[in-house]
This record gives sequence, structure tokens and C-alpha cells, in this order.
Amino acid sequence: MSIELGHFSLILAFAISLVSAFGGLLLWRRGERLALVLGQAAVLQFVLVAVAFLALVQAFVVSDFSLALAANHSHSLKPLIYKISGVWGNHEGSMLLWILILVLFGALVAAFGRRLPSDLASLVLGTQSLLVTAFAGFTLLTSNPFERLAVPPLEGADLNPILQDIGLAIHPPLLYAGYVGFSICFSFAVAALISGRIDQAWARWVRPWTMLSWVFLTLGIAMGSYWAYYELGWGGWWFWDPVENASFMPWLAGTALLHSALVMEKRNALKIWTIFLAIITFSLSLLGTFLVRSGILTSVHTFASDPTRGLVILSILAILIGGAFLLFAMRAPMLRQGGLFAPISREGALILNNLFLATAVGAVLVGTLYPLVLDALTGTTISVGAPFFDFTFGALMAPLLLVLPFGPLLAWKRADLVAAGQRLMGMAALAVFLAVLISALGGVSISLAPFGLLLGFWVSLGSVAELIERAKIGRIPLGESLRRLAGLPRSIWSTAIGHLGLGLTVLGIVSVSAWETEIVTTLNPGETTELAGYSIAFDSFEQIPGPNYLADTGIFTVTAPGGGTARLDAERRIYVASGTPTTEAAIQTYGLSQLYLQLGEPLDDTHVIRVWHKPYILLIWIGCLVMSGAGILSLTDRRLRLGAPQRARKAAPEAAS
Amino acid sequence: MIFWSIAIAVTAIACAALFYAAAGRTVNATGPESADPNSHFRTLLAGIETDLASGKLDEEQANAARGELAREMLRLKNDATERPKAELGRGPVLAGLGAIAAISLGLYGFLGSPDMPALPLAERPEIAAQNISLGDAILQIEARLAQAPDDLRGWTVIAPAYVETGRYADAAEAYRRVIALSEATPDLQTNLAEALLLAAGGAGSNDAVELLRAAAAGDPAHVRSRLYLAAELMRAEDYPAAAEYWQQALDLAEGDEAWLPAARQGLAVARADGVDNSARDQAEMIQSMVGGLAERLASEGGSVEEWMQLVQSYVVLGELDNAQAAYDAAVQAYPAAFDRGELDTLALGAGLTLNGAAQ
Repeated sequence: MSIELGHFSLILAFAISLVSAFGGLLLWRRGERLALVLGQAAVLQFVLVAVAFLALVQAFVVSDFSLALAANHSHSLKPLIYKISGVWGNHEGSMLLWILILVLFGALVAAFGRRLPSDLASLVLGTQSLLVTAFAGFTLLTSNPFERLAVPPLEGADLNPILQDIGLAIHPPLLYAGYVGFSICFSFAVAALISGRIDQAWARWVRPWTMLSWVFLTLGIAMGSYWAYYELGWGGWWFWDPVENASFMPWLAGTALLHSALVMEKRNALKIWTIFLAIITFSLSLLGTFLVRSGILTSVHTFASDPTRGLVILSILAILIGGAFLLFAMRAPMLRQGGLFAPISREGALILNNLFLATAVGAVLVGTLYPLVLDALTGTTISVGAPFFDFTFGALMAPLLLVLPFGPLLAWKRADLVAAGQRLMGMAALAVFLAVLISALGGVSISLAPFGLLLGFWVSLGSVAELIERAKIGRIPLGESLRRLAGLPRSIWSTAIGHLGLGLTVLGIVSVSAWETEIVTTLNPGETTELAGYSIAFDSFEQIPGPNYLADTGIFTVTAPGGGTARLDAERRIYVASGTPTTEAAIQTYGLSQLYLQLGEPLDDTHVIRVWHKPYILLIWIGCLVMSGAGILSLTDRRLRLGAPQRARKAAPEAAS
Repeated sequence: MIFWSIAIAVTAIACAALFYAAAGRTVNATGPESADPNSHFRTLLAGIETDLASGKLDEEQANAARGELAREMLRLKNDATERPKAELGRGPVLAGLGAIAAISLGLYGFLGSPDMPALPLAERPEIAAQNISLGDAILQIEARLAQAPDDLRGWTVIAPAYVETGRYADAAEAYRRVIALSEATPDLQTNLAEALLLAAGGAGSNDAVELLRAAAAGDPAHVRSRLYLAAELMRAEDYPAAAEYWQQALDLAEGDEAWLPAARQGLAVARADGVDNSARDQAEMIQSMVGGLAERLASEGGSVEEWMQLVQSYVVLGELDNAQAAYDAAVQAYPAAFDRGELDTLALGAGLTLNGAAQ
């Protein structure tokens, strides 16, 4: 009965969201009682959807194959963790996860938003409920996860083996938390447009949500990238695959939103643009969901391709996004701009940042959608590959990175560019020195690598320049400097650390792209090959059964140039239920570099072995972690803490003066 | 019935919670925003004065900023006065709650299966009885045969199951047991021979040929043994005997069998003493197809699969130089390891030089 109760819970949540949406959007002037009811409704929606979700989890754990979803995507022999993560390793379940996170954010607004003006709270919760209505309705009517089978099979069809990985337990929840978190910004933007009121308090409200979602999205994308890196077995960490782009576009737009909301909060400027970005960011999240869920793209993410679903999602998308932009077109001219500033100022730098990021979103969007549109209109299939993205995106990012370190050093309103330049002089010299030194040692032929290195070092070093400047390191006693460092506001720390993280990622990308080496060869057990100074010995070949698969395992011993050996097991697995093969690469980490070993197909009596040496590849993901850490640090800043807008008000005079 | 009671109770609790929230005491939720709306503007005004004093703004800009601020304040005041403070009445709340109950119970009645019990795998009674997979069935029968090795029915059932799962040696052994326990019919002999041939994996088997001869001799109308025999004799290059059996099989055919084309071709080849005349035409056709593909790929490019097809064709034709050139061109078109994984494997297998491996 638990499955049916879960089903009923979801339907009840849908009914409550439907009524809340109408109530919130039609009666929003009706004062604080309405806001209280809507808050209660938001909490109820969360509790009910959580019950529904747990009912699904329970059915998967006990292998109840009378649930069609479990029969199609689970298997009684699967390890427990994959039974649980299998709940969202399919279309219907992942939609329910989407809704769960959506209502969780709604409940958080209700919980932390008690001090919001009642009309704003009603509008935000009403818009949020409208989103829940749309997605819960879509799920219930076209892809119901609670569908039952009258004649249940005795064994399930198993989950796609590539998804049977710890990555599935982490990547989608993080990514969805990021996607869906931007729905709050969207709801706030819609509320501001309907009520016609938008001020600095609004930006102070929106910025923590943006930051939180951005942190989740950053972690989700980084996790997805690392997962693709180790699971797909080809050593690539980013493929410019449309599905990856679908998550990357909201990230770029969200990054822009983060920066423009800063201007709005501190200077009451860029209001309309910030509203526009908030709508765009969530629209791109929805577009991502549409691209992935509609079956337009075929990839490991597309669990089912069903044109009806695609059409329904497209309609939801058109109504929500179209409605929001219509509202924007009608109301935006009535909003007032405010806050004057000179072109050379912190505001100016942040606008520059927004320009580049928005253009980058456009470039990625064109590259992603153009082939789809062309295919739909003319039937011509083309693929826009990595070279297009590498070139356009790189060309847009290079100038952005070049000017990035200046931003935090400029003052609000009107700043002195020359002074900022002087303060960055030392770091610039150091970056040039490091880039030249490494390029000379690494032996680069003519390429963009030294320039990339220079950018990476420049961003990394430049972002800590403000910390050094403020702490007067080297000019006053060290103890005094450290005391000053500890006393700096967290916002300064988070800016510096966030930009440092970006610099580290750039360094990782440049290093791997320029100095990666690869070897493909055939080996028999007992033979040895060499790559980048590492000696790789193929010790033995064994067949080892796993819980629900059979693995051909190659056992290797790798001797590092500096001595020290490591045992690597690279596998090719055949999953019993589906007969699908997967490749499990063996990865050995040396400092920040990795040796990546893939056991290829058996060829006559030998085996194809593919080995990559990936210098400093870990910097790519460490940089993302550092960026996310900076975001979390910024959230702990007293002035931004969730649910503490009152304190934030007290802090505002300092910031404004 | 229990389900509906619970569902109605849950709905009632949810509605009660919402009703209580609507009727509950209202805290001052408007908060500090409206407590002193002017403090915010005073701060901004002070900011403008400071900027003017420090020279960040000149007099004209400061005046513009002050004017903008004043207008903003007035607008906010207007907003505040025009907003009527009509509180939410009881009517809309009750209507909303009624809608919630009606929609949820109605939609569930439409979508749900309230009477369907949960069926966790561990509690399913029929689990051992029906519908188990082939592997499980084999395990069960094996267990029974270990107890009773003379169970003719067990061996009869398990033998084709072994063939199905690729365990040909076990299948041959099982058929031997069946023959030992019953009698050697032509069908059983052919089955055993088939298992032996499959186990030999194309290497042929004298035992199998003996069995097939016996089966063919035992029943002059037995087609399957004759087909196998003909094919085996072809492999042993005994063409006259093979032709004999092909002919016999064709004579026994009813006219719509799937093996007819193969048998006719076999007969033709056997009569020509093993020379396949169709092969030379085929080679010519392959040559022209490969040439066309190479031309198209060189001028227009193509998918990795097409490049692989080209390399593979050259390898099969023995033109390794061309294969190498095609491989090099393919790597140039698809430099990413992800794309050319199978291509590299193919090239390694053919002994080509891998220049894709950047070293």
C-alpha cells in the first residue's frame, strides 16, 4: 500500500500547488494571512512530495516489481546504493527528484521568508507553486512514476550499467539543486515584475539563493565532468555534448546573475538587467531539462524518447518562459533605474563581466541549438563539434580572464584604473615569469599554451593580490599581517578564493590540453610499455565476477619515474541482465597528475591497452571545488546569511557609505 | 477501504493545517521594510553628500542623484497608500480547501490503483514456481541430475539449454547421456553431432561426421543430418560426396525452406570442385565499392564508422598501404580518442602504424 500512498501524496501535493498558484498570483494583495497560508502550503507540498519519493525508494529497495518503474530500471541483485540511486536513474524518477528539490526550495523560502513583505512572499510562493503545478502535472499525466503492473515480472530489467556508479548518487541531485535553485530567483523576478516594486532589499534576498544554486550547479557540473572522465573510459573530461552545454549555459548565466545582483544590492543599479538575467538563467535551466528529457538528444542522459513528452515539456517551457518575458516586456519599462557610476568603476567592471558571460551563453546556445533547429527544419544532420566551441568560447573567455583581476581592486562608483594596475604589477610580472619558465621547461612548440598558462597564473595570482594588499604583507610585521587577514570581511575572502579557483581550473585545462600524452599498443601479460617516464607492466589477465556483472580484469604494475609502484586494475565488464559492456578505466594519481589506463578489446591473443598521462588534470576539478567553497564562504557572511535580512539592513549603511 | 480511509485522513489533516494557518494569529510579517521606510533613503542621501564632498560626484550629478532619490521616495509612498489592506476572507480559503480535496481524491481515483497490494520480491510466493531465467533453470536441473544421474527427462531438457547458453561441451555430454539412456535416433545423433561441431568451433570433428553418416543412413528422409554432412564434407574438400548429399537434401526439400539458397550454392561449388565462381565477381564489386567510398570520404568526409569500413575493406583486400593512408586520414578527421577507439583497435589488429598516439 505504501506505493499507492506515495502516489496519493504526490497527487495531493499537486492539488495544493495548483490552488496555491491561483491563490498567490490572483489574490497577492490580500495581506499577510494569504502569505501565511501559502507558506504552510509550501511546507505541506514538500512533506507530501518527500513521502512520495520515499515510497519509490522503498519499492526499489525491496525490489517491488509491481511498480513498473522498478521493473524497468531495477534488478534484485543490484547493490543497495544503486537500488536507491536507480530511483532517479530514469525519466520518471528523475522528474520526481526535480519536483522534490523544487518544493524543498519553496519550503525554504516559506521558512526563511517570514520577514518578507507579505505581497512579495505571496507572489514568490504563488509563482513557485505554479512551477510545481506544471511539473507535477506533467509527471503525473505523461510520465507517472507510480504506474503499476498487473502481472509483475520476477526480475527487473536492470539499470543502464554506465549509471551503476556512485556518480549517479551524487551528480543528478547536485545538478538539480542548482537548476531548481534558480527557480527561486525566477519567482522573485516574476514577483518584482508583477508588484512593480524592486529595490536593494530584493537583491539582498535574491543573492543568497543565486549563490546557493550556483554552488550546487558548480559542484554538479564538476562532478558530472569527473564522472564522464572516469566512467566513459576515454579520458575526456568535457565533450561539449549538448547535454553538458545544457547545464553549462545556466551556469554561465547564473555567474553573470551573481555579479549583477552584487551591483544591484550594493548600488541599486542594473535592476532591469538583473531581473532579465534571473529569468534567463532559470529559462536556460528549463531548456536544459527540455533538451534532456524530451528525447531530442540521444545520450546517456536520455532515458526515454517519447515525442508526446517532448511536446508537453515544450509547451510548459513556452508558457512559463514566454509568460515571464511577456511580463518583463510589459513591466520592465515601469521599473526605475538608479545608481550613477562612471565607466571605470567596480560597477563598470561587473558590467563588462556580464557582457562577456552573456555573449558566451549566446555562443554556446547557438552551437547547441543550431544543429537541432537545422535538423528539424531541413532534415540535414550536422554536428557542431569541439573546435567551434573551443574557438568561440576561448576567444570570449580570454579577454574576460585578462581583465578579471582588475575588478575586485576597483572602487565602487568611480575608480582609478592606473592605481589598480600598479597594485597588480608584481603579480603580472610573476605570472609572466612562471608562464615563460614552464613553457621553456615543458618544451612547447608554437601554440597557445604559454598564453593560456599566463592567463591561468594571472587570474590565480591577481585574485589574491587584494588579500596581500589589504594585509600589507611584506610591509608590516607578519603577525600584524595575519591579524589583518583574519579580520577581512568574508566577502573579500570569497571573491579572492572564487577567482583563485577559476584560475586553477584554467591552469588545469591548459596543462592537460598542451602536455597530455597518450599511447595505444597491444600487450600480453608479462610485457611492459612506457609513457612519460612511467613504466607500465601488464602482470596478468583474470576474469572476476562482480555482484551483477562479469569483469575481464587486467592487472598492471606502474612504476613512477621517481620510483614507487602502484597496482592498477582496469576492467571490461559485462552486465548479466542487459548483456551491456562497460569499461572501467584504472586511474592512478601522482600529485595533481594522473595516469589513466584503459583495457581495450581483446585482439587475437593480446589486449589493446590505452594509456594517457594527464599532467595537472586534477586542478580542473580542484578549481571547481575551490570556487564552490568560496560560494559557501560567502553564504556564511553575516550580511548575506539566509533568513537574516534584518541584520543585513544594519550592515547596509557601511556598504553604502 | 483502508487505503481510502488513510487518503481521506491525510487530505483532512493537510486542509486543517492550511485552515489553521489562515485563521492563526498574524505576526507582523511586513517587518522592518515598512517600519521606517525613510531610513533607507536617509542613508542613500548621506552617501550622495559624502561623494560630493570627496569629489566623486560634481554638483550637477549630485543634484540629479538627489532628484532621482526624491522621486523614488514619492513613488514608494504612493504605492503604500494605494494598496488596500483587504485581508484574506474565509470564503476563498474554504473554496481553496474544497478544491484541494476534490482535485486530489478525484485525480487519484482516475490514476491510482487503490486495491493493488505491494509485492516485495522477498514476499512473492510464486518466485520458485514459474518463469525463472534459463540460467536458474539450468542450475536447478543440474542439482537434480547430480542426485539422479539416470533421469532421462532431465538430460533431455538440459541439453538444448546448454546449447542455448553456449556450453557446447556440456551439451554434447548431455546428448550422449540421452542416447545412452534411450536409443540413438537420427535426430539425437544429429543433435549430438551439432553440439560436437559447435564445441570444436569450426575445427571439425570426426566423431560428428561418423554420427551424421549414421543418422543419414538410419533415415533416408532425414534432411538436417544431410545438410550438416554436406557442409562438413565441403570443409574436408570431398566435393563429390558433398555434392551427393547436397543433391539428396535438395531432393527432399518441399520448396520453401530457408536453407535452400545455401544448399543450391553449395551444390554449385561442389560440382565445380570447390571453386566459387561468384567469388571473383564479388571481389570486383568490392573493389569498385571501396573505390567509391574512398573517393567520397576524401572529398566530403564522413562518419567514423565509414572510415572504419574503408580501413577494414583495405585490410581485407590486403592493400595495407591504402589501409594505412585511410587510417591516417581518419585520425586527422577524428583526433579525439573517444571517436577513434575502435578505429585504433582495428588498425592495431591489422598491424598498421598508429600515429594517433601523440608521444
